[in-house]
Amino acid sequence: MSRLEAKKPSFCRSEPLTSERVKATLSVLKGIVTSCYGPAGRLKQLHNGLGGSVCTTSQSAALLANLPVTHPILKILTTSVQNHVSCFSDGGLFTAILCCNLVENVQRIGLTPTTVIKLNKQLLSLCTSYLKSEACGCRIPVNFSSTHILLCLVRSILTSKPACMLTTKEIDHISTLILRAFLLIIPENAQDHIILGKSIIVPLKHQRVIDSTVLPGILIEISEVQLMKILPIKKSDSFKVALFCVSLSGDLSDTGEGNVVVSYGVSLENAVLDQLLNLGRQLVSDHVDLVLCQKVIHPSLKQFLRTHHVIAVDRVGVAVMEPLSKVTGTRPIGSLDSISPSSYGSVKDLCTAKFGFKHFFHLIPNEATVCSLLLCNRNDTAWDELKLTCQTALHALQLTIKEPCVLLGGGCTETHLAAYIRHKTSSEPEGILRDDGCTQTELQLIAEAFCSALESLAGSLEHDGGEILTDGKYGHFWSVQADSPSVVNWPDLLSRCGCGLYSSQEELSWSFLRSARLPFVPQTCLPCEATDSASNLTLDCFTAKLSGLQVAVETANLILDLSYVIEDKN
Amino acid sequence: MAAAGSVRAALQVAEVLEAVVSCCLGPEGRQVLCTKPTGEVLLSRDGGRLLKALHLEHPIARMMVACVSSHLRKTGDGAKTFIIFLCHLLRELHAITDKEKDSFFSENIQTHERHWKKCCQWKFISQALLTFQTQILDYVMDHYLSRHFLSIFSSSTKERPLCRSSLEMLLGAYFCGRVGRNNHNFVSQLMCDYFFKCTACESGFEEVLELVDDCFVELKVGVTGLPVSDSRIIAGLVLPRDFSVYCPADGDIRIVIVIETIQPLFSTFGSEFILNSEAQFQTSQFWIAERTKAIMKYLQKQNVKLLLSTVKQPDLVIYCAGLNGISVVECLSSEELSLIQRVTGLTPFVLPQASSQYELSNTAMVKFCKPFILRSKRYVHLGLISTCSFTPHCIVLCGPVQGLVDQHEDALHGAFKMLRQLFKDLDLNYVTQASDQNCTSSPLIYKNSRESNDLPEIVNGSIQRPYQYTVVKNKDELAKTQAYLKAYSNLVVPSVELETNILCSTPTVTLTDTYHTDATLRCFSPDKARIMDDHEPFIESNSANSTTENTRREISYENLQVTKNARKGSILPVRYKSLEMCTSQSYCFSSVPAGCVLPVGGNFEILLHYYLLSYAKKCQQSEETMVSMIIANALLGVPKVLYKSKKGNYSFPQICIRALQSLQTNQPMISNQKGLESVAGKYQLLTSVLQCLRNILTIDLVINIKRQPQEIYDQDSEEEL
Repeated sequence: MSRLEAKKPSFCRSEPLTSERVKATLSVLKGIVTSCYGPAGRLKQLHNGLGGSVCTTSQSAALLANLPVTHPILKILTTSVQNHVSCFSDGGLFTAILCCNLVENVQRIGLTPTTVIKLNKQLLSLCTSYLKSEACGCRIPVNFSSTHILLCLVRSILTSKPACMLTTKEIDHISTLILRAFLLIIPENAQDHIILGKSIIVPLKHQRVIDSTVLPGILIEISEVQLMKILPIKKSDSFKVALFCVSLSGDLSDTGEGNVVVSYGVSLENAVLDQLLNLGRQLVSDHVDLVLCQKVIHPSLKQFLRTHHVIAVDRVGVAVMEPLSKVTGTRPIGSLDSISPSSYGSVKDLCTAKFGFKHFFHLIPNEATVCSLLLCNRNDTAWDELKLTCQTALHALQLTIKEPCVLLGGGCTETHLAAYIRHKTSSEPEGILRDDGCTQTELQLIAEAFCSALESLAGSLEHDGGEILTDGKYGHFWSVQADSPSVVNWPDLLSRCGCGLYSSQEELSWSFLRSARLPFVPQTCLPCEATDSASNLTLDCFTAKLSGLQVAVETANLILDLSYVIEDKN
Repeated sequence: MAAAGSVRAALQVAEVLEAVVSCCLGPEGRQVLCTKPTGEVLLSRDGGRLLKALHLEHPIARMMVACVSSHLRKTGDGAKTFIIFLCHLLRELHAITDKEKDSFFSENIQTHERHWKKCCQWKFISQALLTFQTQILDYVMDHYLSRHFLSIFSSSTKERPLCRSSLEMLLGAYFCGRVGRNNHNFVSQLMCDYFFKCTACESGFEEVLELVDDCFVELKVGVTGLPVSDSRIIAGLVLPRDFSVYCPADGDIRIVIVIETIQPLFSTFGSEFILNSEAQFQTSQFWIAERTKAIMKYLQKQNVKLLLSTVKQPDLVIYCAGLNGISVVECLSSEELSLIQRVTGLTPFVLPQASSQYELSNTAMVKFCKPFILRSKRYVHLGLISTCSFTPHCIVLCGPVQGLVDQHEDALHGAFKMLRQLFKDLDLNYVTQASDQNCTSSPLIYKNSRESNDLPEIVNGSIQRPYQYTVVKNKDELAKTQAYLKAYSNLVVPSVELETNILCSTPTVTLTDTYHTDATLRCFSPDKARIMDDHEPFIESNSANSTTENTRREISYENLQVTKNARKGSILPVRYKSLEMCTSQSYCFSSVPAGCVLPVGGNFEILLHYYLLSYAKKCQQSEETMVSMIIANALLGVPKVLYKSKKGNYSFPQICIRALQSLQTNQPMISNQKGLESVAGKYQLLTSVLQCLRNILTIDLVINIKRQPQEIYDQDSEEEL
């Protein structure tokens, strides 16, 4: 009998964006993401009233994954941000805020969606081509001969995540560690295309952040009991390693679809154990020093190996199999009876180590691109946040290798870009409009909405009631503390712009970001010496930010294009 | 519970559906967001998907949705137009019956009785619809509409080379109605590139389309989180899994496919393995291991570098493969397997029963096999060497959300379906009535008389009868013309122009027996043949004969049009259907030839509207006239929605009037639209809608039942004796 499904009819709504409820929920979401943005962002505590762990965060990855979103339009927004984050790790809040701002601003104008979408797309391509061009005034090429820029990038990422609860000293320490971990996974003799190694983050909670460290090779956690059984390791300059992916516990693998009948008195266990011990003998005669097994090793075999001074470690798990075979140069063995000598590998040194309360077995490779990052933080939730941040930073460094440039952070890219678009749309609107059938007025309206979305995105970096200024030469972002005297000499109040590239020494004709300004030509082409002289720059990952910009505009276009929402209520 | 089925109810339902779908129609259409019960969100402009997502309860609505989905299965396009057209048809019917109500049901009868009576009337109309569909529609399509058809092929020879620019226009128009406004250009360009990259030789595109349509799911890779503009085409095949073991290899790589585990098992299904001693167990394990190694060794000796397996292979096999330098990909789905088999012609490797004799004939080559990383996920990338006309390529579809990727995937798949339909001939029911049985021997005479049969039908119907009379009379005249033709056949005139000559000359002979043959001859002079715009002398000579003046003007305009189109031929080749088809298909069923297209923007609808109206005018039977009128009026509903938002010169009434005027004066229709659409698809849509309407009209009562209707199974016809 076929299963009968009582389907309820769907719920259909037209023009979803005009409803007050949607507007309200959108502004709530915008409020949440905006308040998290930047180094001064506020933290969010996510908890379930029934109990369980509490998550304190200001990162989009953790926030959006736990945020219950019901309205389909918000779902589109949050999933697109989440997808962006899973691709690039960085720039989630940037994407979310920009998308919310765009939807809100454009709705206020009230043009038809067709025009809006067309023009938004034109403005986006204007932005991307500018950011990709050599003349771009907010892009810094990365010189890999010095670590200055890379360190600034990592530090900016760490600073922008206040939920990690790090002091300035700790930020310095962790950013050096991250950079070192990254350098360790770059192969020394690179061919035409580099294959990066892997850095494994090893958790060490309830320790001081300063105790975090980076080690080359792999750390395998073992219990204290296991540690006692491991004999003192003899000194040698090389250890032979065998790595098994097949279970060594003596279980009978797949016997096929038919029946296997065992006569009375025949002990298969003994037969299998014989086989295992034969294997052990072969390992001993091949002078293997270390046996690693993904699954379980039979106790008898373990005992046998120990009596022959072979160290056996089992249950290492599938996650470390690939790094292990990379570190040791072994081929994971899947056979029980004959092992080809070519599948053995070696490590330079073996030792046991104790970090915090945990015991580790440390494999030090001859030359490999795997490292372990021991990460400490005071409590669980801060550690989780720190781990996410480290992964983000490592990913950002990888992306920077692919596309060797970085963008100015601290809101300067956004204000500069807004100034550029304002200038372009007012000076040469024909080039942007081409044959789209849109008028110049429409372009001006949309460009204004687009720029103010970018500027209010930059403005959301300020959470403490301060004022935001922008200069009339570079189009950078300057913030003034709250309750500063009203009539002042600006250079006295301002010190450096958001990214730290320019100081307030020269006269830059500041004005409030909110106030109406005349379009001006922002200075393009960054001078090289400027980036070298500035000691502490705030930088953003180029690829992540560029893609975030594209995703934000595309998602906003998508949301603006909706004419109906059909909700399946089953 | 029972509810009376009526046009009124159906109209109400259709109007609601129309409101939903019309917002997504055409280039100005917008997106609809659907949520699934699982919480996923989906963006769509696909009418079929929207109708399904609504989960309608109303019985008539459900029937409409069922009709739409069966139409979609066939053609993959036109769900939204279906609903709009159906709605307009119902509206027309409703309006007509409202008018007739008084005359039909003036006497005071009971409501029930009235209902049944009404149903009889509906039944009557549905019969008329059937006759319309089978007779009139095909006739009109074949005789009138076919003159306007353009072809997607750059020339109408046997090889039928595809014209890239017209394919781009076709796809552009298709994606306009399917994907978001900011992406349709990009997606249609992507599809066009993909199609031409996959088509190795010019002729094999039907095969390519069939394969891509069947295996599209395997040929695309969806990636979320990247902007749409990152979508691209990749040479080779991408499998969504990682290598179980990867050994880098260069040069041509030999591959085998296995569909079972290489390592022998203790027992197979239905058998029993009896273990009598421990030694026996150990030797059998040893044998198994040895045999596995032997097979892998053998594969290595045969230079096999890649093993594709549909099942999970044991650790031992993976280990041995690694030792022998063979890469392994496991757990291929049956669809992937069949795709690889279709592309390479490779059959699975059968494991030999005997331990020593192996025969390895089933291998194929790949250009490369390497890991492919997309968004930090690993894929297997195979450079298959194709044995058919399909050159394997994959599409990587990117989008910020899964819903958008799905939408693009659906649209691309639908486009391939649509193209597949386009390249098929569509047979019409109408039999070409050839009256040239008497014409013998010379093919030219034959052609002439065919022409003469065709042309008056372009002309007003009133001339038809006298003309047919002249055909019989003028056989001799024709022969004479033939003689002239022969006399001039040695002139070097491009064949196409010669044919247009024939077109213009013969009617003058056949229509007026008193007509001077030298007038005809003048038409044949070579310089005239080349400068066809210069028609004045011809018309002047015609005007002497007052009785056929009308006709001739029509004809000359016709010529003008043909030649004008011929000039444009470099861009959009006009099908000289009336010329080519006649020679070959005089007794066959007529058909819409493969690759026929019309400009988008309601061109088909306006054309059909015009010809149906003109047909209705000369029709004697009242119901035929009525049905044709209804359909002709309803056809305008689609362009009406399309031009809804346009203003001024581009508003619907303006466009419609201009088109009709140009049709009346027989000038070529000027279309400001850049896209093209398939004629066959439109025709099929029309027939599907009419079928659906007939279904609606013939139902008189909807009965609600508690159980599912029982399926009728095949019963054994044998009776016990």
